[in-house]
Order: sequence, then C-alpha cells, then structure tokens
Amino acid sequence: MAKKPQLAIDTRPWRDTANNKPFVRIRNVSKKFGDIIAVDDVSLDIYKSELFCLLGGSGSGKSTLLRMLAGFENPTSGAIEIDGQDMTAVPPYDRPVNMMFQSYALFPHMSVEQNIAYGLKRDGLPRAEINARVEELLALVKLGDYGKRKPHQLSGGQRQRVALARALAKRPKLLLLDEPLGALDKKLREETQFELVKIQESLGVTFIVVTHDQEEAMTLATRIGVMNQGEIVMVGEPTDIYEFPNSRFVANFIGSANMVEGVVSEDEPDHIRIRSSELGCDIYVGHGVDCAPEQRLWWAIRPEKMVLSREKPAGLNGANVATGIVEEIAYLGDISVYQIALESGKRLRVSQTNSVRGNPDAITWEETVYVSWDEDAGSVLTS
Amino acid sequence: MTTARDPTIPPPRRLKPWNAVERGLARVGITGRMLVLIAPLLWLLVFFLVPLAVVFGISLTSKQFGRPPYTPLLTSEDGMVQLTLHLNNYIRLFTDNLYVAAYLSSIRIAAIATIITLLVGYPMAYAIARAPDRWRNILLMLVVLPFFTSFLLRVYALTGFMRGNGVINQFLGLFGVEPLVMMQTDFAVYVGIVYTYLPFMILPLYTTLVKLDVSLFEASADLGARPIHTFLFVTLPLSLPGIIAGSMLVFIPAIGEFVIPSLLGGPETLMIGRVLWDEFFSATNWPRASAVAVAMLVVVVVPIMLLQRAQGAVVEK
Repeated sequence: MAKKPQLAIDTRPWRDTANNKPFVRIRNVSKKFGDIIAVDDVSLDIYKSELFCLLGGSGSGKSTLLRMLAGFENPTSGAIEIDGQDMTAVPPYDRPVNMMFQSYALFPHMSVEQNIAYGLKRDGLPRAEINARVEELLALVKLGDYGKRKPHQLSGGQRQRVALARALAKRPKLLLLDEPLGALDKKLREETQFELVKIQESLGVTFIVVTHDQEEAMTLATRIGVMNQGEIVMVGEPTDIYEFPNSRFVANFIGSANMVEGVVSEDEPDHIRIRSSELGCDIYVGHGVDCAPEQRLWWAIRPEKMVLSREKPAGLNGANVATGIVEEIAYLGDISVYQIALESGKRLRVSQTNSVRGNPDAITWEETVYVSWDEDAGSVLTS
Repeated sequence: MTTARDPTIPPPRRLKPWNAVERGLARVGITGRMLVLIAPLLWLLVFFLVPLAVVFGISLTSKQFGRPPYTPLLTSEDGMVQLTLHLNNYIRLFTDNLYVAAYLSSIRIAAIATIITLLVGYPMAYAIARAPDRWRNILLMLVVLPFFTSFLLRVYALTGFMRGNGVINQFLGLFGVEPLVMMQTDFAVYVGIVYTYLPFMILPLYTTLVKLDVSLFEASADLGARPIHTFLFVTLPLSLPGIIAGSMLVFIPAIGEFVIPSLLGGPETLMIGRVLWDEFFSATNWPRASAVAVAMLVVVVVPIMLLQRAQGAVVEK
C-alpha cells in the first residue's frame, strides 16, 4: 500500500466533548427480561468514526445492549439516539444501522453475491448499481472469485468476510458487530483484527463491537466500555482501562493484576502511604487520593510494573520493597513470569523481560528476592 | 472402508452365542449390515411388491362369474401352459370417459385440498415453531390429539356440523339466515380432507420451521426487509422442503381417498377411490378395479417420484 489511509475526522472526539456531538447517545437505558435486569441504567455517548468495544463476560448485558441498538429488543426504559434521531419506535428495517451477527446469519439458500445484494435489493436500487456495489464489496473483503458460491462452500474466515461485506453493503452510518472474530481460530483472528481496523478506518464508519476477549478489545478499539452485570463500569481508551482501572473489577478483568488490601496510614495532598500486612511493607503512592486516614482500600499493580532483584533496593521513604521466595517460573520466551510467595502467604506475579540471551545468572526457583516498584506504578482503588 | 483383518492377529475371543451365528453367516457372505437391510426389504417384498404383482396380474384377466371372479392367467391344456393377457381393461380406462373424468377430478380435488391445507397449516406450524419452548410440545400434542379417535368417527362428526339442521345451520338460524346446503357437496369433501389431513401438513412444516435460525430473520430485518419480504425471501424458500413433504403427505392419500367422498360428498363428487370401490363391490369387476388401481399408481406416483428426485437435487445443493 502506498500510503496510510487518511482518517476521516479527528480520531479522538471524546476528548473534546464540548465541541463534538455524540453520534450514538444511549441515555439511561435499562432492559428487563422478567425479573432479570440484563441492562441496568446505561448511559453512553459514542462518536462518529469510533471503533467502540463493549467488553464484558457472558451475561454482562453487552449483547442485549447491541441488540437494542439494532432494534431487535426494545429498552424497558431510557432512549437510544442515532445521529440525532430517536430510535425508540423505529423498527430494525428502518434503522440506519447494520449488524454483523456472531453466527454470521448468512442466508444458506443464496449465493455470496445474493447475500451481499440482499439489503440493496430491498432498497429497490437499479440492478446495475447493485452489481457494481457487490463487486466493490467482494473486492474489499478479498473474495472476488467467490461470488457464485453458497455459504456452506466457504471456510469460516470467508464466511466472516461475506458477513462483513453484507453488513457494509448499504453504507450504514453505524455498524454493529457481535463477537466478529469469535468463531475464528487464533491465527486467523489476529490477521482479521487488523483487516477490520483497516476497513473501519478507510470507510470512516462507526463500529460498535461486542466482545468478551479483552485482547481483541485492546487491539481493535478506540475506546472500550467495560460491562459487568448490566452496568457500564468503565469507559476509556485501551491505555486508560489497562493502566488506570477505576475499580477492582476492571483491574482484574483486563490483563492480570496483583491486588493488595491495605489501610491508609498517611493521607497528604501530594502522596499517601498505605500499610499492608499482606505485602509486609508500606506502599508509597506519589499522588493524592480521595480517601481518609485509616480507610481500607485496595492497590493493584500489573506484573510488568515491578522489578525483581537479589540485593535489597533502596526503596522509597522506607516503602515499596517486599521480599519473598520464588515459587514458580513460567518461561514465555519474551518474558518470564515469576510467582513470589511473600511471608504473609500472599503471592505476587512479577514479569521480567528476558533481555539477555540464555541468561545463566537468571533468578531461579527457591531464591529469596526483593520486589520493588515505582511510586506511580500501581493504582489505588476504593471500590 | 476395508474390513479385511490381518491374518496374523487372531480375532478377539468373544463368548457370545451371536458369534457362531455371525461367523456362519459370514462364511456365506452375509454381514450384519446386510441383515439389517434385508428386514425392510423383506417387508416391502411381502406386503407391497407381491400384492402389487397380484393386483397387476388380476388387471390382465377378464371378469367371469364364479370364485374367484376373474379368469385365470395361466391355463394348462394338453400339457401346454397358456398365458392369457386381457388388455381390454386398460383400453376401457382410456375409452370410457368415467375413468378419465374420475382421475382428473380426483387430482383436482386433492390438489385444491392440499393447497387449502397448506394455507391453513403453514400459519399454525409457524406459530407453534415460534411459540415459547414450554408451549411447543403442548401445541404439538393438540395437533396430534385427533388421531386418538377413530378417523371414521371424526368424519361422521363433521356431518353433525354441516347437515341441514346441524350445528352451523342452527347457529346461522339464530340470525335468520336460511339453512346452507353443505353436505353432499364438494365443499364438504374439502372440509373433510383439510380437517383430517391437517396434522400431516403441520408436522413436517413444523420440523423445518423450528430448525430455522432466528438470526436469519433478524439479519433480513436488519438489512431493511419488511416482515412480508423476510417471509417471502427467507422464511418461505427455507421452509420449501417442509412444504413439499407436507403437501405430498396430504396429496397422495387424498387422491385415493374413499371414506370422505362417500360420507360427505354428493353424487357429483367423482373420485377414483369411489369408482374403485364400486367396481370391486357393486360391479364385482375385479380385473377392471385392479386396472384402475394400477393406472392410478402410474398416473400419480411416477410424477411424484420424479418431483421428489428433483427436490432432492435442490435440497442437496
């Protein structure tokens, strides 16, 4: 490719909410199935050309929210606005929205071409225009020679691309994707991820993707909305979600984190100190936190944010150094993950880059080591 | 798949009485799989092909008074066996207008009744297929429930509804409507066929409709198809196997139907089943009746077999 496709508009409109109108507005939407609350008072703004990921485990309400955007379910309360239009009473076939289904839902009795042309035919476009558009889409998803085949003659990856082409055919303002890569094997999934982002960027269509795979969400998304039990617990860019989780749930759900319980012993505007019996040392945090002395809270740190050493490091104001014994080592090639057993019985996972080739002096099993970290390495969580 | 066993490895020792049988059969080249296939073949031979051959044989004889009431096919005279084939029964089928008219009328009545059954049964099958899980089996039970009473009884019960002073006319009489003549008409025959054969239409339709993935309908709506278009372009084509199977199950027996036209139909309701009955029992013309039966088989079954083969090719894709 000669040059990187130009982005249609600024990629981060959510950073400037005053000057940007959200494209999709979900306002206080709840959905109840009998006694079960599937979606609980969700409010969310999504901007044009975003690739927004709804991330959550099964039963978190992410698919229900997507189905409400498509119009297959009606909110029990609240309203959904797309491009300034209230969608509450609009049936699915009149919405400027298309969906790519998890099962792909390709029509088995139609060829690839007929599948892609289906939506265009319903709009009553002239035949020549439909044919041109189908050709264009087949080229976009690199299935030029497969137009005459039936879905059952295609591989899983090819079906996925047909489903994408069919969903894009009507040039929807908003494309909904339900676990778009869920049915593909790992290698194909990684390839397709980047292709999906490329297509999204070149077309400038707003994508909302539902996924349970946090890695997929991190790779694809401009922003991620983490859902748990019907609620959106955090919305942010992938780096925000990973580096600055706002709750224990988010810290645990995205990547792996060491979670430590502690009590505030020093509460100053520029730093706080947390006493943790689990770590066997104090935690010095280099910024102010909205908390009270003697408050019980949690501190989460990612495995790669800590350093292992044989000699005791200086530490920070007599804090941020814990000691323990190496219990397990998982060698993953690029990194090694060490499980350190602390005196309290607490286990920490620490990962270290294997920067020296075949290092004979690497820290090994049963060694007593010191674990240290920076003053801003962890997140203080109050919920 | 090869089943040849390496001769150096002894077969596993199993002390079952079956083994001896199996080994004995294997020696004459009969495997277990063949036995399984032989059972239905034997059934078909004894209860379908042999009687059919007998009927075909009788159709080539001539009527005579006596017992049996037809001339023998084979006669022996002076040590010579003579085979006499009378083709005039078949010739009469084509020359006598009664038979041709009865065939055409049967096909017409069966076809119209099948279409009505389809129109009535499709929405019912669709509703059952889309009903909540816990309702489905109850609704299916209700569809099958009439089979628990005698077919004859149910057809008789219809006369109670449709006769001059029956339930329907009494109800209409409350509004001052003159009694309608329903019995002894083609209308009554249609009602009878649709009513008795409806389950045969609903069940195959239900099995195809219930298997359809709901997300296909959602995808269709999502792509801008109104419900009627979703039905025409997605639901209907995908339920075609069920439509064909159900229609066959209604159409084929309806052609030869005897009880319904004789109980509900009038003198002008001409159906081949009644003609057949009359030939056998009123005219005691067994050869003619057999010829009617064989001709019906050819006229109806052969096109249907061809149609089913064509459908098989379509479904296979």
